[in-house]
Amino acid sequence: MNSKLKVPCIPIEGSISWADWLKGRRARRESSKLVAPGVIRRQSSSSDRRLKKLFHGQRGLPFTPTEEL
Amino acid sequence: MDANKIVSALADVTAEQDPTLKSAKLASLCSALWAERGVELVVVGGSAIEILTEGAYASGDLDMCHATKSTLTVAERKEIMGLLGAKGGPRNWQVAGMYLDLLGPVESFAHTPYRRVEAPYGSILLMKPEDLLVERVLVSFYLGESETARDCAKVLAAVALRKEIEMNWDEVRRVANRPEYRNLPQCVQLVKEVADELKIESPLHPD
Repeated sequence: MNSKLKVPCIPIEGSISWADWLKGRRARRESSKLVAPGVIRRQSSSSDRRLKKLFHGQRGLPFTPTEEL
Repeated sequence: MDANKIVSALADVTAEQDPTLKSAKLASLCSALWAERGVELVVVGGSAIEILTEGAYASGDLDMCHATKSTLTVAERKEIMGLLGAKGGPRNWQVAGMYLDLLGPVESFAHTPYRRVEAPYGSILLMKPEDLLVERVLVSFYLGESETARDCAKVLAAVALRKEIEMNWDEVRRVANRPEYRNLPQCVQLVKEVADELKIESPLHPD
């Protein structure tokens, strides 16, 4: 059986459970990285001052590596 | 939500070091507290795209709008956000180790529902990916050819093409044809580019 079929989908109607949303995180990251590798966070924005102050010079917390999702 | 549960939820969000989980949990907690006062919140923009795609895009601020016509008074906001130890207000807060921006009433053109995640402290509503895709394509093509916006549109298209989020492509087409956007050719082009990379047929292809 194709393992892709086991990836829970975020549906149009109804909702996705937290457990299923968590379960799909790695597959969604892998799909994203096929077309836009690496971190694609904006380099700057009007919120830079407050973000860099809170996140020690960064614009947010570091992303969890794909293999740990 | 009783006081003990709020304290426990706040501790969980504050300790969370995964940015996407932190954002989703904070959205869940705030949505639950605002919903108790009759206001429905929706996660929008890059924060919504991150929860939908895991694209490593969002920064450390969570953007939300209200979907209900009315919103809370400044005094009510102060009371609720005070329960969370938030600093600032009445539209921007530092809370649980990140920022929350409340942008005002939500603007959506798609006729599909907001996507819903049953998160730990209550449901999170997410902006419709049909709106998000068309808007990001607009930004990427027209406002200084933003490479980041283009990457963001591509990850949204990729996750939808691989059916990890359900996208109504007819609605994408309709929204892109609206006078506010008029960017269907650019949407078709971007989705085809991503579909070709993934070796999937584009659902927006003119044939």
